[in-house]
Amino acid sequence: MIQSNNFRYSPGEHEAETASSSYLMSLIAIIVGAPLPILNLLATIIFYLSNRKSTYFVRWHCTQALLSQLSMLIINSFGFWWTVSIVFTAETISNEYIAYMISAIAFNIVEFIATLYTAVQTRKGKHIEWWFYGGLTNILCKESR
Amino acid sequence: MKKAVFQGILIVTLFFGTWYLLAQIKWVTIFNIQKKTENTEQKLGEIFWDVFKKTGKENTNKNVKNTIDSIVNHICETNGINIAKIKIHVLEKNDINAFALPNGHLIVFTGLISQSANQEELAGVICHELAHIELNHVMKKLIQEIGFTVVGSITSGSEGATIIKEATKLLSSSAYDRKLEKEADIKAVDLMVEANINPKPFADFLYKMSDKETIKQFTWISTHPDSKERANYILSYCKNKNNQYQQVVTTEGWSKMQQELKKSE
Repeated sequence: MIQSNNFRYSPGEHEAETASSSYLMSLIAIIVGAPLPILNLLATIIFYLSNRKSTYFVRWHCTQALLSQLSMLIINSFGFWWTVSIVFTAETISNEYIAYMISAIAFNIVEFIATLYTAVQTRKGKHIEWWFYGGLTNILCKESR
Repeated sequence: MKKAVFQGILIVTLFFGTWYLLAQIKWVTIFNIQKKTENTEQKLGEIFWDVFKKTGKENTNKNVKNTIDSIVNHICETNGINIAKIKIHVLEKNDINAFALPNGHLIVFTGLISQSANQEELAGVICHELAHIELNHVMKKLIQEIGFTVVGSITSGSEGATIIKEATKLLSSSAYDRKLEKEADIKAVDLMVEANINPKPFADFLYKMSDKETIKQFTWISTHPDSKERANYILSYCKNKNNQYQQVVTTEGWSKMQQELKKSE
């Protein structure tokens, strides 16, 4: 699921720190207990925008962090609004709802661990490519000439 | 590119697959959610009935009780509804009204009984309220209007008398949303047909009550929108229900009850 590959060049200390921070952005929003699923994405978007003219290594990891947050946003938003509809409307708790919440929590935990691991490894200057998201980032994020 | 698309599809499949497999487990039973919901409903039913008991005297006339019981029992038996969960209360009030409370409490005002031209009209309104109970509309309405948290706090006793009073008013004097009303009307016709009670007088009752000059007196109608439209779809729905209809109580029994009600007024 996670691969440690060689990057095209060896990133510098500052680059590794900034790239690692892009992953930490999404974790900070979770740690402060932000209940809205959009906040994680906002944090990574802001970080991505402020580093879009940065070096290739930083941009690459900002993009991967942003893409992973996008898919989590879809899963979490659906769960969030389903819960809101149970609390405020006539919707009731069903087997499907509980199953969805368990699946969403499981995916969130996996994503959390992967993000944490990637943040640590990237800080060490290692290039970590996630399954699917890494490939997608390679397509979207090109090295500027 | 192809590889990324394939991996993306695989991730989506993995998520939906996990969800589908987990949904096969009966979580609602495991977490006892059904029982907890029933307990909440039972408590709410008791709380609201306690409030209503104080607003009017319960009618204890044997004839009235027997007639209403006969109609409700017949409808429940023929439709496989557990009669033990339906608690009928006839309150002495001139308002033409009937409504359902949580936990199967069915309140019928004497005003409705005395203004019903025949037993089928009354049976129609009763079936409509039974449909709300059967389709779990009462709890849905409560949660929709006052919210899950407030409903929960009423049962725990942390809500004040004002909230309970407002919720009680809501249950007796305002309609369900259009979709739920239509559902209840259609279900009411099904219940009536299954019980061999002619549903046409129920539609007639709605037509009769939609008369604007009399609307203020008819709480049940004024709180239910578009009576004419409802009467029309009830008529068109029961058009093809070819059934041999019968009366649940004898004409004599119905007349005697009406006379006794008039005397007590």
